[in-house]
Amino acid sequence: MPQFDTHFFSSLIFWEVVSFGILFWVLYKFALPPIVEALETRERKIRDSIEQAEQNRATAEQRLREYEAKLLGAAREVEAIMVEAKTKAQRLLEDNEQRLRAESARIREETTQEIERERRKALQEIRHKTADLAILVAEKVLARSLTDDDHRRLAEEALEAVGENPSKSQP
Amino acid sequence: MEDPLHPFELHALIPLSLFGLDISLNKAVVMMFVAVALVIGLLVRAGSSRQLVPTRLQSLAEILVEFIRGIIRETMGQEGMRFFPLISSLFLFILFCNLLGLIPGSYTVTSQLVVTGVFAVGVYTLSVVVGFRLHGIRFLSILVPPGTPGWLIPLMIPIELISHLARPLSLSVRLFANMTAGHVILGVLFGLTIAGGLVIGWLPFAFTVALYALELGIAFIQAYIFTILTCVYIGDAIHLH
Repeated sequence: MPQFDTHFFSSLIFWEVVSFGILFWVLYKFALPPIVEALETRERKIRDSIEQAEQNRATAEQRLREYEAKLLGAAREVEAIMVEAKTKAQRLLEDNEQRLRAESARIREETTQEIERERRKALQEIRHKTADLAILVAEKVLARSLTDDDHRRLAEEALEAVGENPSKSQP
Repeated sequence: MEDPLHPFELHALIPLSLFGLDISLNKAVVMMFVAVALVIGLLVRAGSSRQLVPTRLQSLAEILVEFIRGIIRETMGQEGMRFFPLISSLFLFILFCNLLGLIPGSYTVTSQLVVTGVFAVGVYTLSVVVGFRLHGIRFLSILVPPGTPGWLIPLMIPIELISHLARPLSLSVRLFANMTAGHVILGVLFGLTIAGGLVIGWLPFAFTVALYALELGIAFIQAYIFTILTCVYIGDAIHLH
């Protein structure tokens, strides 16, 4: 095999060592550090970004939970307020109704009493007036032809007749 | 038919000598220079555009670097990172030599046993040096696997010694044989293509196409295997079992 031709070993070994040495030196000094640095910078940046995003997400989630809790509390509060307002309104309505009913009952009672009183007064008046009128009429008609007894008897009779007609309900 | 081993022959292109040592430039040496120039050109250019959103070339270089760092991290752990420049130089040198050898008319540097041998012996020597520097005389305990019964020790030491000394040998022969064999088969098939002419020559030619794709994969895989075994050997010296 041509590979075992020792004639070229010395030059192959020499140039291999030299060229590999140059390659190693250049890579070690110039080529690799910036590439590795770029890689590490990117890695760090990505890790930082992910961490930041994770943090932001956690914060946002916490905020959301807080707001949801607040919203729930507000809804409950609204409900409580509504219920309270309803019962208050109901009570107010009932109170008003009761008061009005009592008021109206009182007014009706008073009016009834007033009417009754007025009726009685009117009746009384009518009775007096009628009697006086009867006496006056009788006096005019009979003048002095009757005795005092006749007067009284006649007057009473007239009174009876008058009083019976307008007051049938009267006892 | 042409000798399939003919492409592996070397001829001095420019005769040179250093203190009586023949260091003539030949095809293999030129290909080494080309490989080194390509790697340096690629990585220096890629490194010069340090952007957060990488350019295409930067991406390629970063993939290579990340790949090598991954191998080191897996086999040696974080303390192996100080070997990163050496390991990446080794990987890229072998990879580019393998790939350049696939260009018709070029020369596969890694098909020279002496070239792979220098790397293998160098790597093995480095692992021994690292072992002794980190652990002193205790490094010799790698010759006795943990849990060996006392009476087996006289037997185990020679066995382990042989297996350790076989490391540089297997490392160099594996790469050399893979690169050589692939090219020999390709050469044979091309010879058959030409000898067969249009009538039957298309059949071996079709095989060369498929084999060429395989060779491309082997170029990567052998560079990868050489690198990972280097890492394993140095990692063994760092961690001692």
